[in-house]
Amino acid sequence: MSGKIDRRNFLKIMGLGGAGTALGGCDLPSTVTLEEGKEEVVSYLMPEEYVIPGVGVWYASTCAQCAAGCGIHGRVREGRVLKLEGNPDSSMNHGKICMMGQSGVQAHYNPDRIKTPMLREGGNLVAVSWEKAVGAIQEKLSAANGDQVAWFTGTLSGHQAALVSNHLEALGSRKHYIHEPINASVWQAVNKDMLGEAMPRLRLDKAQMILSFGADFLGTWISPVHFSGEYAKFRKQKRRGLLVTIEPKMSLTGANSDLWIPAIPGTEGVIALGIAHQLVKNHSKDMSSLPASVQGLINKYDAATTAKIAGIDEKRIQRIAELLVERSPSLVLAGAPVEGQAKGYASVAAVMLLNQLLGNIGQTIESQGSFPFNQLKAKTGGTSDLFSFVETAKNKQLSVVFFYGTNPKFTAPKAMEMDSALNDVPFKVAISMFMDETSMAADVVLPAASYLEDWGTHVAAYQPQQTAISMQQPLMEKLYAETRGFGDIVLDLLKVAKKDVYSAFADYYAYLKNAHAALPAEYKEAGMTDGDAWSAALQKGLVNVATGSMSLPVKPVSFGDPAPADSGGKFAYHFVPSARLGMWDGRHANLPWIQEAPDQITKVVWDSWAEIHPLTAQKLGIKNGSIINVESEHGTAKVQAVLIKAIHPDVIAIPMGQGHEEYGRYAKGRGANPLKLLNPVKEETTGELAMYATRVNASPTSQKEVVVRLGASDTQAGRRFVVTVPVEQYQRTEGA
Amino acid sequence: MSLENLLGNWSQYRKGHEEGGFHDYKHLWGMAIDLDICIGCNACATACYAENNLAVVGKERFEKGQAMHWLRLERYWDQNELDHPAQGASFLPMMCQQCDAATCEPVCPVAATYHTPDGLNAQVYNRCIGSRYCSNNCPYRNRYFNFYSYYEDSWPEPLNMQLNPDLTVRDKGVMEKCTFCVQRIRVAKDNAKMENRPVADGEAMTACAQACPTNAIVFGDYMDKDSQVAKLWKKHQVKLRLTKQNKENPELRGYRIFEELNVDPSVMYLERVREEV
Amino acid sequence: MAVNKQNHKSSSRLKLLLEKRHIWFAMLSIAAVLAVYPFVVMSSSSSAPEIVPPGGSHNGENVEQPIEFPHNTHVKDNGINCMYCHTYARRSKVAGIPPTSKCMGCHKVIATDKPRIQKLTEYWEQKSPPPWKKVHDVPDFVHFTHEKHLKRFVFDQDFPVENVKEVCAFCHGDVENMTVAHKVKPLNMGWCKTCHINNGGPGDCWACHK
Repeated sequence: MSGKIDRRNFLKIMGLGGAGTALGGCDLPSTVTLEEGKEEVVSYLMPEEYVIPGVGVWYASTCAQCAAGCGIHGRVREGRVLKLEGNPDSSMNHGKICMMGQSGVQAHYNPDRIKTPMLREGGNLVAVSWEKAVGAIQEKLSAANGDQVAWFTGTLSGHQAALVSNHLEALGSRKHYIHEPINASVWQAVNKDMLGEAMPRLRLDKAQMILSFGADFLGTWISPVHFSGEYAKFRKQKRRGLLVTIEPKMSLTGANSDLWIPAIPGTEGVIALGIAHQLVKNHSKDMSSLPASVQGLINKYDAATTAKIAGIDEKRIQRIAELLVERSPSLVLAGAPVEGQAKGYASVAAVMLLNQLLGNIGQTIESQGSFPFNQLKAKTGGTSDLFSFVETAKNKQLSVVFFYGTNPKFTAPKAMEMDSALNDVPFKVAISMFMDETSMAADVVLPAASYLEDWGTHVAAYQPQQTAISMQQPLMEKLYAETRGFGDIVLDLLKVAKKDVYSAFADYYAYLKNAHAALPAEYKEAGMTDGDAWSAALQKGLVNVATGSMSLPVKPVSFGDPAPADSGGKFAYHFVPSARLGMWDGRHANLPWIQEAPDQITKVVWDSWAEIHPLTAQKLGIKNGSIINVESEHGTAKVQAVLIKAIHPDVIAIPMGQGHEEYGRYAKGRGANPLKLLNPVKEETTGELAMYATRVNASPTSQKEVVVRLGASDTQAGRRFVVTVPVEQYQRTEGA
Repeated sequence: MSLENLLGNWSQYRKGHEEGGFHDYKHLWGMAIDLDICIGCNACATACYAENNLAVVGKERFEKGQAMHWLRLERYWDQNELDHPAQGASFLPMMCQQCDAATCEPVCPVAATYHTPDGLNAQVYNRCIGSRYCSNNCPYRNRYFNFYSYYEDSWPEPLNMQLNPDLTVRDKGVMEKCTFCVQRIRVAKDNAKMENRPVADGEAMTACAQACPTNAIVFGDYMDKDSQVAKLWKKHQVKLRLTKQNKENPELRGYRIFEELNVDPSVMYLERVREEV
Repeated sequence: MAVNKQNHKSSSRLKLLLEKRHIWFAMLSIAAVLAVYPFVVMSSSSSAPEIVPPGGSHNGENVEQPIEFPHNTHVKDNGINCMYCHTYARRSKVAGIPPTSKCMGCHKVIATDKPRIQKLTEYWEQKSPPPWKKVHDVPDFVHFTHEKHLKRFVFDQDFPVENVKEVCAFCHGDVENMTVAHKVKPLNMGWCKTCHINNGGPGDCWACHK
């Protein structure tokens, strides 16, 4: 939907160039007053460049609501940022952002922001000055053994990642724990082994058919906004792309499928091998280059065997294989339910095997090319570092740990004993915007500036056709004078740890500007000064990076039988801690817009719930709205039951995100946290937490409540709201 | 023009309506929503909260149906599904359809809701007395009433700093609804006027259409024959002011919801497509 | 002339409304048009054929400002154009209060011995702009833009910009003879509406209500 006019001109995008603008309450909507001389007109001390009171100006920056790294534009008026939109220049998101990105302003203006540094004194966190907080940290750092200092973060990239690495290096530590509950770690590991590249580029727009094993690329998988745009192109091809999804509980991607097949989590690898069997035996695909063990697996899973293990009709498996051959090139993806098993690696490898047999590699799976700045690359993580952190902490090998952008006390399963591991770390520093569970357990809390007040650079792990370094700049002056940017905090630590190098930089802004100036000449337009090039980069919001072209040589990977082995004992149902676009891993539970936004599938708001198939519910005596106990080996969650057919009858799902014990007025004490119930099972090859490998039982209590959700009717009751037409008709009129 | 004459010839006005056209519209803002690529992600609805100062009401009031979501994303399951919804869900972004023959307008006792020369159903907040007749008369259930004063509950400081100064924060007792982001249309028209040129396609853009990651929502001026939205309506042979479309090619996907009620909505939907596997 | 033009406009608007079968609104509009009709006739018989300045008067409260700013000294005695200080008027919906740096541009050297300037200098040195009070305010549900009014009454008329104060005076009164600004026009809906009718401004509710 590109307008005819030059959008850039229309938006009047400007580089901010360092200075923030003064806050003016000039036009803040308020209770109506018409009395003369009661309201103040806030005027400026100095005229701000580009600021015209009453006129919104758009500035470019980067979204930090998840790690996908979408470019954004923020509308600024009278010094306030009002609205975020996608940056049309970013080939990541083409001017679009998701509901989490839109809600970024609510994180920034959140009434529960931390406003001052805090230090634990006599058991309580009390407000102190920066000098005192930093003094306490330096005291502990100088007393600690260098290798007993650690960073524990979410995904980091760009210069922030480089600074954290350099800080650890200066101290002589290698302990950087990275944790993201919503990740693609096993997918990355398999791709690394098979293709030599952890995050190959996926060309949804070129695929004739996508077969997704639980990869919710429209909702929560890797780079949802980018993939949504590509999905539209996939559907709008001359022959409309065909989407088939196989997963335990319907995701947003599943909801958009032409065929949705429920599957027991853990059987996806077997299904993939069953399809591979069909491809080899009935469609003459060549498996001679594969390791003998993999050939053996393919031979083993004929249609009957696969159908028996997976509970899927034989004909379905044969039909999918047929379609995959017919609709070439295709794309086969594996997401969290496939990864989250003890045999997750084997399952994902079995899925990737399909891409290999179908010749998709090089067609719909491309190399990202080589990124020239190694230190700026994204440091992605999953859940394996939870295990290593707990183990190291319990062995008393950690004395100072910095936490940033992650909340392990909330996201770690109870059985992992994260609480006691945290107690075993004598000094914990949390750099955070909010008092989340981890910050509450910290010894020092440093108030972080919001991402709309801070500087930074971002290089997302997944890069679209045009690789770029995305620029982050403050869209307004800091709301609270006592908060500090993350880059500034790390830089200050480095000024002590590595004084000779870092004392030259007044602040993180100066550091970044310097780093930009040091880029090779081809990154600046001819004749531009460093200052002009810097302004141009900020104005555009990104610096395009030329990547060396690379091919994807397929290496044969051998893997074991992905068939699930365990029975689950007395726990009868497979447990799915599902991910929601919006709530994410729980980090957005404190944003009222996200809480009030109905879940895409169930349409429930403001709470947790357990999704149960009506047949299962009937068996267990559970009704829609019943308050039930979902019990695993390690805990119980008391939630409301929502009966829904979009789930496998052997599966019970509770979405992630709620159940916060802290985290401000909108999140605290609301719903239940499904992550706490998980068994601490490790994925055998990668050591990731097998998040979909827990079994549970469910039992009703005597309570029942109304399910609070959008819409009273599940069907259209014969009315023509959404009309569905067969694809043949569509092909006749709009196809080719 | 006497009142007698007006009432006496009422039926003629209605009949004349089928054929003619309001050619004196300079703009007629319309939409086309492709339900085949709408993925139901909720970006549009959240963008609407951000743009239009929509109050967050909380769980208890949501339960009572008092949510203020001007744009809501409805989800339906197929009726013939057996054990599982094998073809996924149906998503429907539902906002005020800006009917040209809106049923909400004639029932307002104080003319707080009326038709603008741009073809929009306007709601004038300071004129509204909260009779809620319009809401009762809306077949789409797209009007939202402020049962409470939300200013302090919904925007505790400093959340109120996010409020868009281009439109009012509605107070208790006032009806509100989707405006097709009239404040953004106003800016586009003002800019065009200051430069003595027509409004370009894409210059006036609602927050939902701007946010849609798949570009399923297309917004524009129906009177501008070169606009994307006008072209889409034409392509799908959907015409305004008809209670039943007589398309040359009935297989084309365009349709309007509740068209048969003679409300003449300005939003055209394109049918969802599914492939039987 | 103006009267015919106005009547023509009114009737076409009425037709439009009737075509759209908005019976309630139509009836109210008939009443509204009848009510304003005498104004149309009266104003048309006044002198200016194109522009009819709004009438009306209002005796506003005396607003105590942090500094008793003398508009008269600036505008009348020294002939400074309104838009020299209220520089955003032609570019934005708001006219803008000048930044303190603009005051100091002159008052670093001019009249530095006056107590008011000394007070201003104090603000400047403390790096905080004086907390000026709002005198001319419209409710939050009103969309008003200086930019388009200046276009209509100054730039589209080839009205000499050096005399812009005469146009500003339509709504702000005789500021050149005031010290601190004083509200002398009602700035209410009926007053705005009358002027819109007389001068062909938009009549649509949503032109001004937001």
